[in-house]
Amino acid sequence: MVKENLGKVAEGEFEPLIIAYCCNWCSYAGADLAGTSRFEYPTNIRIIRIMCTGRMDSTLVLEALRMGADGVLIAGCHPGDCHYQKGNFMMEKRFDYLKKAVKNIGIEPERVRLEWVSASEGGKWAALVREMAEEIKQLGPSPFRLRSIPKKTDAAIDAFKSQRLRWVVGRSQIKVEIEEQKYRQTVDLIMQVEIERHMITLALKEKGPLTAEELSQITGLQPNKTMQHLIALRRDGIVIEAGEKNNQYLYQLV
Amino acid sequence: MEQEPRIGVFICSCGTNIGGVVNVPEVTEYAKTIPHVIHADHNLYTCSEAGLTAIKESIKEHNLNRVVVASCTPRTHEPLFRAACREASLNPYLFEMANIREHVSWVHPHDPEKATRKAKDIVRMAVAKAALLEPQTEPEVEVKGSSLVIGAGVAGLTAALSMASQGFKVYLIEKEKELGGIARRLYKLYPTLADSSEVVGPLTKDVESHENIEVMTSASLKDISGYVGNFNAVLTGPEGDKEVDVGTVIVAAGSSNYTPPKGLYEYGVHDHVITQGELDEKLKKGEIGEPERIVMIQCVGARKGEIRPSALEAFPKSDTAELLRKILKARKEEGWPYCSRICCMNAIKNAILIKEKSPKTDVVVLFGDLRVYKEYEDFYRKARDLEVRFIRHIEEVRPEITRTPDGKLQVMAYDALAGLEVKFPADWVVLSTPLIPSKDEIMLGRMLKIPIATDGFLMEAHLKLRPVDTNVDGVFIAGTVSGPKDVSESIVSGEAAAARASILMGNGKVRTDAITAVVDEDLCIGCGLCEEICPYGAPRIEDGKSKIREILCRGCGSCAAECPKRAITMRHYGDNQLLAQVKALLVPQSHEGGLT
Ligand code: SF4
Ligand code: SF4
Ligand code: FES
Repeated sequence: MVKENLGKVAEGEFEPLIIAYCCNWCSYAGADLAGTSRFEYPTNIRIIRIMCTGRMDSTLVLEALRMGADGVLIAGCHPGDCHYQKGNFMMEKRFDYLKKAVKNIGIEPERVRLEWVSASEGGKWAALVREMAEEIKQLGPSPFRLRSIPKKTDAAIDAFKSQRLRWVVGRSQIKVEIEEQKYRQTVDLIMQVEIERHMITLALKEKGPLTAEELSQITGLQPNKTMQHLIALRRDGIVIEAGEKNNQYLYQLV
Repeated sequence: MEQEPRIGVFICSCGTNIGGVVNVPEVTEYAKTIPHVIHADHNLYTCSEAGLTAIKESIKEHNLNRVVVASCTPRTHEPLFRAACREASLNPYLFEMANIREHVSWVHPHDPEKATRKAKDIVRMAVAKAALLEPQTEPEVEVKGSSLVIGAGVAGLTAALSMASQGFKVYLIEKEKELGGIARRLYKLYPTLADSSEVVGPLTKDVESHENIEVMTSASLKDISGYVGNFNAVLTGPEGDKEVDVGTVIVAAGSSNYTPPKGLYEYGVHDHVITQGELDEKLKKGEIGEPERIVMIQCVGARKGEIRPSALEAFPKSDTAELLRKILKARKEEGWPYCSRICCMNAIKNAILIKEKSPKTDVVVLFGDLRVYKEYEDFYRKARDLEVRFIRHIEEVRPEITRTPDGKLQVMAYDALAGLEVKFPADWVVLSTPLIPSKDEIMLGRMLKIPIATDGFLMEAHLKLRPVDTNVDGVFIAGTVSGPKDVSESIVSGEAAAARASILMGNGKVRTDAITAVVDEDLCIGCGLCEEICPYGAPRIEDGKSKIREILCRGCGSCAAECPKRAITMRHYGDNQLLAQVKALLVPQSHEGGLT
């Protein structure tokens, strides 16, 4: 889909397209105030209104990047000011993981920002857009607009839709018994594992039965890692052996 | 939706506000090329009677089942356009707005070409969302004809009396032993110089004797649950706990007086350095007598520094209670950022009282700015006629307390007009201090889930348009909980809050927003995460599935963002609807725009 637009990037000066998810109560109102106050800023931003940053599912950001957005801004109320009390705190928590995933799929993390803009900060909004547009101009077009999108991106989106990753990220929003640092490490690990497993299942979905060796080649994962994942996927009833090839098992999706 | 979307797009020039920058006819022509758009037109003012009629007629004429208006911000005009849709028998949730004024023409006045392109993008995005909109019904709930008023100062008393006389049952709780709040401790009121008791006395008596009002003193709110129309409150007092069911709540819990930290202007060190409030009490008891000179210092602890939202960032992780404790502590030392509104008049009033009793006493008021408005100007003039001396000091150079050679209390200040240092030996030094948010009131705000402004006062739903509403439906604020007010202003806000609450109770029912969360029970595994995450206790696991009580849900979407099974959809803000906007922007199918 995005490749259709590939040619256009080269011509003329690069004008980044940035998606801004703004919460209705603070940042959307802040952007309104920038207008009422006639603060000028570059035309690169497109605002999508949401009720609260608490609503921002990480997949909404990843999907926007997959579609070729040069940047994604999530803007909400200052801590303590959220209309629903803690939506922005929850966003802040999940943003840590989201940022790691963004990096993981080969997008510069600076393209994704979480900022607090209150209803009275029209000036801050204008300055923020200016700054972000400039930064992204420096970075150039999203890598996804210039070359084909790595499979890992699809895997990451699937991972953020998967029950296991969502469960651990969701749990981190409420009081957990174990120490925060340790918990974060666990989530990071699960995120990594989920992305890798989804790379395997995506490959099987597209190409049909494959051996562990072939899977390693396609996904770029270490052979022993691939094997580990296959065992787990088999245990969870997601893949199953489907005959043999060159003395190796073939695997397919159940 | 079974029906193919038939979308009408109305683009507003807003006089020249939009049309002066954005090429509106071009955007209109462009809109006609967007999939599902059946009709597109532009008007000079879409929100005018003519504009609204055009929308209603087009709905009929073109059999439209979705409407997009590209104009100003939905935060002010959405209700108006939704109402027009409703009048044309179109469900108001089948309406979408594209903001091309605040977010386009007003911020890109010097780049009409790019502004026009951006406007097209925004219209395309709005159409994409509109195509996926679904009709919604706003849930209707019953409103009980009873109210809980918290705080029996003048604002609370007034509100209670007003609602009770309309026939509603009122529970009035007061944390102190007596009714009357701050006003009860005041001596005379400005500008009439009437005894405060002349106001508070009758009000208290009327409240106490009203058959519809149940008063509880030395009492507080222990717990509250429920939602607009149906709150359940647990009140606690000397006689134990009492549960009441009410339809509305009015918070009139008042504020406190700022007490200067010990040593500031020798307050708490020298016993003739007192606050304006303490002077009030002394005047009432006749303890001031006929001294030679009294010096008043204005804005002590007020209009200092600034609390900016960003100041709160220093403690992003702590919860509100913790945060506010820190703020209160810091403010005690540094003072408060705002003008407390009443202190100038209070000082003038007490100056007049002293002068009328003892004309020989020299009363000096040291101020940086004196703020008297409307008829209070006359009151100020009266003080000047009585020879009260008003001396402006340079704001940055605060007066200082020193001693005369013979050890008497003395105030030193820099007279801004004369341009010299002046010294006033004084028998009394009176500090005018602001009204500040009280801890109790802040905790109450927490319990009721009313947002707390950065200055610590409870926040109104809209500073200008909804001054006694809060962001919690059915909960209103009156008096100084939302910021300093004098007695008459407190009475006005008490009446106002009572009127707002009575509208709900009088109607007996209310519609709430349809933007809520819906669970797909086939997907839900009953893990309970949503239950734990929701700030309003809306989801509840019943028979292994989450049931979200529509009426409690405020539509924040946090549960949808975290549900492990992605079983929760937000009405009007679904993933598909949001992503349709992204996709329309970045991956347009058959027309220009998108990534260039
Ligand atoms: S979080 Fe999702 S799966 Fe869990 S109980 Fe709530 S709706 Fe059901
Ligand atoms: S959308 Fe927000 S308020 Fe509604 S149930 Fe979910 S978390 Fe609670
Ligand atoms: S309402 Fe603005 S972040 Fe929650």
